[in-house]
Amino acid sequence: MNKILILLTAAICAAIIFLVPPIKGLGEVAKIIFFHVPTAWVSVVAFFASAFYAAKFLRSSNFAFDRLSERAARLGFIFVLLSTISGAIFSKLTWGAYWNWDPRQTTIFILILIYGAYLTLRAAVSDEKVRAKVSAIYSLLSVLTVPFLVFILPRMYFSLHPSPVLNSSGKIEMDSIVLTVLIAAVVDATLIFVQLMRRDLK
Amino acid sequence: MKLFDYRFKSVVAILRKDFLIGMRRRATFAAMMMFALTAVASLSLSTSGAFVEPKFLAALLWVVIFFAASAGISGTFDDEATAGTLPTLKLYAPAQAILFGKMIYVFLSLVALTIFILPIFLILFDAPIENFLLLVATIFLGLIGVAAAGTLTAALTTSATVKGGLFPILLFPVTLPIFLPAIALTELSFTGAAFEASSLIVMAVFDLILITASSILYDYL
Amino acid sequence: MITFDDVSLSFGRRELFKNISLKLCGGKIIGVTGANGAGKSTFLKLAGKIIQPDSGSVNFPADKKIAAVTPEMKIYDNLTALENLKFFSELRGKNLSAEKILELGERVGLDLETFGNVRVENFSTGMRQRLKFAILLSVDADIWLLDEPTANLDDAGRDKIFNEIRAAKSGKIILLATNDKLEENICDEIIRLPL
Repeated sequence: MNKILILLTAAICAAIIFLVPPIKGLGEVAKIIFFHVPTAWVSVVAFFASAFYAAKFLRSSNFAFDRLSERAARLGFIFVLLSTISGAIFSKLTWGAYWNWDPRQTTIFILILIYGAYLTLRAAVSDEKVRAKVSAIYSLLSVLTVPFLVFILPRMYFSLHPSPVLNSSGKIEMDSIVLTVLIAAVVDATLIFVQLMRRDLK
Repeated sequence: MKLFDYRFKSVVAILRKDFLIGMRRRATFAAMMMFALTAVASLSLSTSGAFVEPKFLAALLWVVIFFAASAGISGTFDDEATAGTLPTLKLYAPAQAILFGKMIYVFLSLVALTIFILPIFLILFDAPIENFLLLVATIFLGLIGVAAAGTLTAALTTSATVKGGLFPILLFPVTLPIFLPAIALTELSFTGAAFEASSLIVMAVFDLILITASSILYDYL
Repeated sequence: MITFDDVSLSFGRRELFKNISLKLCGGKIIGVTGANGAGKSTFLKLAGKIIQPDSGSVNFPADKKIAAVTPEMKIYDNLTALENLKFFSELRGKNLSAEKILELGERVGLDLETFGNVRVENFSTGMRQRLKFAILLSVDADIWLLDEPTANLDDAGRDKIFNEIRAAKSGKIILLATNDKLEENICDEIIRLPL
């Protein structure tokens, strides 16, 4: 599995560099979007994975779920940082500023805060049984912000962010090569996340 | 019905007990008020006389409320844990009665905090209020949300060995859905511009979600 | 009856209980003894479902109410003796009359007429212990968890408490964790830890 993933990642990197046409007026650096979208996707997936395992832990008191929940959060934290940095670079290229509190930037920043708070809480509680319980509860509490971030926030603030791959009218407005590579990158990043979650799990 | 009645009595008993202790040991209360006063004074001094935009003013008000509230309510369970009374309380009282008794107490102390700090804030910043009712409704709904999330968060941080600053770090992301609409509505209450009732409804819905979630999650603690 | 079903519990690497199964029956005073760190207090907490085991389960009928006198369960320093007593009994749905309060004080050897309105912060350790016992008596619990209940009491106080425990034992499950010979003597049965 590891070898396949390395090959797939290498292939996607090659495709991004050689196959994908340069984005109009933005230059080669703008191809960072192929890094930004998958990492953003994984950081959201990891957030839900962490909450999912937190719920499983609370129902079963099985500490294996607590470790999975923690691992998902740690991975999610790394991915969300990578995504934020790559997004900021792309933002600088397209809108001329690294940061402008657009709804998606706000969302991802809140995600950083939640991940950070969760990991700080884990670090602050020394008793491992209590830590598992307390952090699972916090993980589930923080999921409550999701409906707000997804449904309410975008209406409150004006957005410059490009619409998602599938926009609201259901039409795909992208070059087919670009789209294929992007989807492949997202799948690859998700598989990397899954593989890291499964690593020496006992 | 009998069960409900008994729980309700327990909630009232806990609320009254917390109030009695709060009155006798004024430190927590005084600290919260003085924190708010210090924050408002320092903000007002540093902007002395300059015109502050309503949008900025609304944000400042909520930042002051958030951090003063953090200072005041982070010890909701902690004080009892330090005094050694928390195990006794947990043994004798139903868990939900503890949560709701504390939540109502936290809400009332936040109301007291706001009644104290809001006039000072408005006077020092010479803030115009065009829509007082909206301001009151917004603060009311905002404080409910902070009390709901804050009480559960206070219960979570009790078991932490390192506490410095932990409480606001945990509380902020989960109360953000309350704060952002609250700040927007507070701004509108300063400017008097038209507002959408839906924002108030959004806040009320999140209050309900937070209260329900706190109640469900507290049982696992 | 409290049943332990295959209960295991450890704190970090310290394994206190491993696959314990036993039944604790009512109508008796059951002593729990053992060296320091053997897990006497933990055993009481497990029995009262105050803490959960790592695996296995502890069960007793859902309608059974628990009360406890243990060193780690403190009462409110900022409240008076009466306020403490009334608060805890209210939590269990009891409204104590003035006579009942005086009677409770009499039973544990605490003069509530004189000290009722004194804040507990001004009480001695022994007086607090008596007040804790008055609270325990006031709530009509079915299961008593007593952790060194007379450690801070003088002889007269000790005799009063022993009488109350003996008088209460029928129909109740009384667990008494102790290392004290006198306390052991009032027990009908002794569980020696580690099991």
